[in-house]
Amino acid sequence: MTTTLDRPSILKRIQALLHAKEGPLTRELVREPGRFGLGQVPATKIPDATTVMVCGFCSTGCGLTVHLQDGRAINLTPTTDYPVNRGLACPKGWEALTVLDAPDRATVPLLRNQAGARSPVSWHEAMTTMAARFHAIQARHGADSIAFLSTGQIATEEMALLGAVAKFGMGMVHGDGNTRQCMASAAVAYKQSFGFDAPPYSYHDLEESDCIILIGANPCIAHPVLWERVTKNPHAPEILVVDPRRTETAMAATLHLPIRPKSDLTLLYGIAHLLIKRGAIDRAYIDAHTRDFAAFAEFVRPYEPALVARETGLAPQVILDAAARIERSSRVSLWWTMGVNQSHQGVKTAQAAINLALMTGNIGRPGTGANSITGQCNAMGSRLFSNTTNLLGGRDFADPADRACVAAILGIPEANIPRRPSLSYDGIIEGVKSGAIKGLWIVATNPAHSWIDQSTLRETLGKLEFLVVQDMYHSTETARLADLLLPAAGWGEKEGTFINSERRIGLIKKVRRAPGQALSDFHIFTLAAHYHGCGAMFREWSSPESVFQILKRLSAGRPCDFSGVADYHALDLAGGVQWPYPAANPDPSPRRRLFSDGRYYHADGRARFLFDAPRPLPEPPDAAYPFQLLTGRGSAAQWHTQTRTAKSDVLRKLYPRDPYVEINPADARELGLVTGRWGVVESRRGSARARAFVTPTVPAGLLFMPMHDGSTNRLTLAAFDPESRQPAYKACAVRIRAAADGEAAHPTSGPTTH
Amino acid sequence: MDFDDGVGSRVVTPPASRSWDAGRGGFLVDSLLSEQGDLSAVERFAQFHEDVLEPLQGRYYSALLPASPPGPGQQLAFEVDLDRCSGCKACVAACHTLNGLDEGESWREVGLVVGGLAALPVIQHVTSSCHHCLDPACLTACPVNAYEKDPVTGIVKHLDDQCFGCQYCTLACPYDAPKFHPGKGIVRKCDMCGDRLKGGEAPACVQACPHEAIRITVVDRAVVRARAEAGEFVATASDPAYTAPTTRYRSLMPVDFRPADEIGMKLEHAHMPLVIMLMTTQLSAGGFLVALFARLAGLAEGLGSPPHLGFCLVFLYIGLAASLFHLGRPLFAYRAILGLRHSWLSREVLAFGLFAKLATALVAAELLAPDWMAGHAVLRTALLVVVVVAGLGGVACSVMVYHAVRRPFWQARSAGVKFAGTTLVLGLAAALVSVSVSSALALNGPAGLLIPVLAGALIAASAAKLWFETGDSRERDETVVEPLRLTAGLLRGPLKRTADFRRWLGVAGGVVVPSLAIAAAAQGGDKVVAALAVVALTASIGGELLERFLFFRAVTRPRMPGALTS
Repeated sequence: MTTTLDRPSILKRIQALLHAKEGPLTRELVREPGRFGLGQVPATKIPDATTVMVCGFCSTGCGLTVHLQDGRAINLTPTTDYPVNRGLACPKGWEALTVLDAPDRATVPLLRNQAGARSPVSWHEAMTTMAARFHAIQARHGADSIAFLSTGQIATEEMALLGAVAKFGMGMVHGDGNTRQCMASAAVAYKQSFGFDAPPYSYHDLEESDCIILIGANPCIAHPVLWERVTKNPHAPEILVVDPRRTETAMAATLHLPIRPKSDLTLLYGIAHLLIKRGAIDRAYIDAHTRDFAAFAEFVRPYEPALVARETGLAPQVILDAAARIERSSRVSLWWTMGVNQSHQGVKTAQAAINLALMTGNIGRPGTGANSITGQCNAMGSRLFSNTTNLLGGRDFADPADRACVAAILGIPEANIPRRPSLSYDGIIEGVKSGAIKGLWIVATNPAHSWIDQSTLRETLGKLEFLVVQDMYHSTETARLADLLLPAAGWGEKEGTFINSERRIGLIKKVRRAPGQALSDFHIFTLAAHYHGCGAMFREWSSPESVFQILKRLSAGRPCDFSGVADYHALDLAGGVQWPYPAANPDPSPRRRLFSDGRYYHADGRARFLFDAPRPLPEPPDAAYPFQLLTGRGSAAQWHTQTRTAKSDVLRKLYPRDPYVEINPADARELGLVTGRWGVVESRRGSARARAFVTPTVPAGLLFMPMHDGSTNRLTLAAFDPESRQPAYKACAVRIRAAADGEAAHPTSGPTTH
Repeated sequence: MDFDDGVGSRVVTPPASRSWDAGRGGFLVDSLLSEQGDLSAVERFAQFHEDVLEPLQGRYYSALLPASPPGPGQQLAFEVDLDRCSGCKACVAACHTLNGLDEGESWREVGLVVGGLAALPVIQHVTSSCHHCLDPACLTACPVNAYEKDPVTGIVKHLDDQCFGCQYCTLACPYDAPKFHPGKGIVRKCDMCGDRLKGGEAPACVQACPHEAIRITVVDRAVVRARAEAGEFVATASDPAYTAPTTRYRSLMPVDFRPADEIGMKLEHAHMPLVIMLMTTQLSAGGFLVALFARLAGLAEGLGSPPHLGFCLVFLYIGLAASLFHLGRPLFAYRAILGLRHSWLSREVLAFGLFAKLATALVAAELLAPDWMAGHAVLRTALLVVVVVAGLGGVACSVMVYHAVRRPFWQARSAGVKFAGTTLVLGLAAALVSVSVSSALALNGPAGLLIPVLAGALIAASAAKLWFETGDSRERDETVVEPLRLTAGLLRGPLKRTADFRRWLGVAGGVVVPSLAIAAAAQGGDKVVAALAVVALTASIGGELLERFLFFRAVTRPRMPGALTS
């Protein structure tokens, strides 16, 4: 480039020295049209192509348009014409690419030697060692002495391959997923009530409802893009929020029901009783499509408002008011999430919500339903295809017909399919503790942070002869315990499908190269099969898309039938497809709900009324531990154990740096705690330091701590729902005091804090 | 678009080398690693909307933009419906992504307030960025005219290439809108995505809010002014009368809010170059001032001569050099006086620049032509008066630099006393050194009365200043404005040790050692006096540096309500 030094340009330069309106710094922030319908984008990041994939954090399953240069992702924006999110995303979605670049990505297999030190090894050595160690353990202690813990964070094709390789190829019996921690109660409730694990709704129901009942759910923070649907509802709906805390969602309610923790079951029975008493039920629907209503009506008869008020802490008038609002509404929808599921009686609470929908005929019509909002991006895929406690396709390991069917579809010997279902997560942990399980393979989950009651977990994992951890990051609490760490590619670095809360199958794509030698989970499972000597059995499972074709065959004729989806390309064109989508006469509508015909999946086509008496809290507060501890999501910018979300500077700006505990002003005053002051929260199992956040939104006698800090689960009590075996994270007894000087000088540090 | 031409059946076939049955696992590993490196999404899937220039998202956000451009007496403004905000903070992430900002950088923030009655508690997130004020404090403060307020849209735009990184705007803005980018050495801030608006597109935050809580509206400047003067803005934020912020916050919940970070144990940046600059320029001005007093009192011996004046001049140059280290882009320091008409910082720069030139001329004259100077006594005094006026003018500008940003701790009635006090204390201490050292080295005649006079004055000035400063950390009742109570809390809390040390140094250097010097002078020990004077000056300098360090660290920054420290 030549520069002319004529007079005007010299003058211009001199002027720029004094007053520079343009220049290199200004140009850094110029925005230019980006094509692809994106509008203006940063001029430094103009894409030459785009592609749409679903987000890899929560189960909302938002579409994200990834901006590409030479096939590589450089930026992303939420997808306008994806039916789920309409161009919107929460901060996690916006930052989904950033977290791939973290410096603590695992890039090479790490193997622990005799001296306990870990060093990089080749994939060949890693997989040879893994196969040899697992073989040796199985030879000594039996095939079921090795087990796996899987996840709701990997693609359906990957979890299916893992489940198949582990159980049909490697001979494992026990494997469960971290979905046990979030969805098990809903899954069991649906299965028992409807005959299949089938959340019946479309997100659009949130816009069509005239009465939205949210139980133990805070979508403002946990599912902001679903909350967007509520704000777009044109019917000025009643919004009833059942939550001990006055959350952002409760703030937006037309009626907030601040019940005592875990008294939701009693409240729902009380409301059912009032509706029955007032005749506000749909007799015709009950008669045509359900069973056991009479027994249910009889069962809830004692739940008079006075009793319910006593148990829940609500005024009787409020309970009557809630029932009246439901009675007045014609399209009532009930929605729940972890407040219900993570309970010592989560299944029955979910079924109490289902019962309300069934008895009022609020299901199968627009704006209705008993609707569980799922947690993880692919919890729904896991529920159908992880081959853990259910046989592939929502089948039963114990059922010979189901086994024969799967063996035929896959072309494997029926004898390779275990005849008993797996132990659930807690059972596997118990198995490790008792010595029955000697080898464990943990994939894309972080139990050393997330599992309930950490007090003995690390010691338990230490008993294993061989612990394999497969993760994106080498720094998670669990990855650091591994004898063998397998570096995995993450979301955006591999292909596959996720299934979201409204049963929509969506695509993930490969838009980034994985760092170092990290391999997709799919490829790692392929290697595991090969080195274990069972690769031949999975010849057809050669790529995620070929497994997708296998999954279609496994789904055919089942409630979750999606055999009508041709392939990934078809999914891409359609913006995701909800199941069912059978090969014969599929309904092409982009948003569908189940049960519009009133036919349920039990053999008789009828839904069941299922109920049981509420049970007392596993650990009620007492004089020594007078507070009840609630746990949950801290902010929309945080995801679970923070292995990913802590890696984005922008996300870190959006939540408090230090762990915190919400406390009511009255309690804080008594304890001498002020906002920002360090406190110590103690349970019978452990203690955690956290800064006080004094807020009237948490009632006196309760404390709330986000689940994202590693110390929270040192406090929680290992209590479980007896039917779903889901841990009850949300109520245990604790005490709190102000930290002494110096006691809190060094807050817990871990991979989640920077 | 070519999505129906059969490409759907295209499947990337695995490399031919993959063999399930081969015993050679290493071969499989290699093929998988190579497959992992292939980026397939563009080949495998169709492109949509490839040549669509207009934003698809427009269908959702167009209702959030004004129907017509602002007319005379109007401007564009953000409007936030607090009742719609769910606290998801997508606006912050979108601002970062859609504007191509650096890692961790965003021009929007979300604070939190809590309050309400025990029976009906309230929690409210408050999203904010630049309020594009009618009277932008940033624009007024900027010494290099790096801010422009668009006459039509009212957008307050920052000229990144004009900025030299003095960060004065970040002190002046009561809402923390301009953000200093240390890596680039400049400030950057929200421009309401002005070029998006020009093209009919919504700003990043408006596009991204799932709940349509943020919109752009046209506001009447007169209405904004009236609301600002009536104090109507948003709970817990700084008084809007200062800058007349145009953002309109709407909420149906009129309650008594508290910011979630109300305890405010946040320490502000110390700005060490500024600490040094303020101390040394004041020492220098004070040194010349004492010289002038001495000359007028007929006691010029040792103080009107080059050693003392040169000594003071050295400190002045140290201060000016230090101030360069404060700048993100010191090469452009010459722009600093462009804002003379409105910026106290420009005025401070000009005054100290004059002070330096005049003082240099005076010292040069005293050095090069001492006899000529001695022969023109009136001129000599007049020149000294001019130098002193320039120096004190600079100090006064320094006071105004901080006074102008309306932080109670930095008000002239406090900062003025402190800066004047430093000028006197250090000027006297420097003079004491000059006189006693000259005397000990027998450069001049015996110091005589000067030592006890200077030391006595130093003791008086130091004691008065230290007493004045005790007010900063005293426990305040509700009658004192909240920022001062918070500052006092910081000085009694996390900054207590520094504050104690500052007092200790001040008492030692300004009271104890000068007293010893008086005693030693009475004994006639010239060298001891000189040594004590050096100790007194050193300790006083240390004390004043700490005082100024606390001046910056303990100030309470007015800003939007915050959340727990992130």
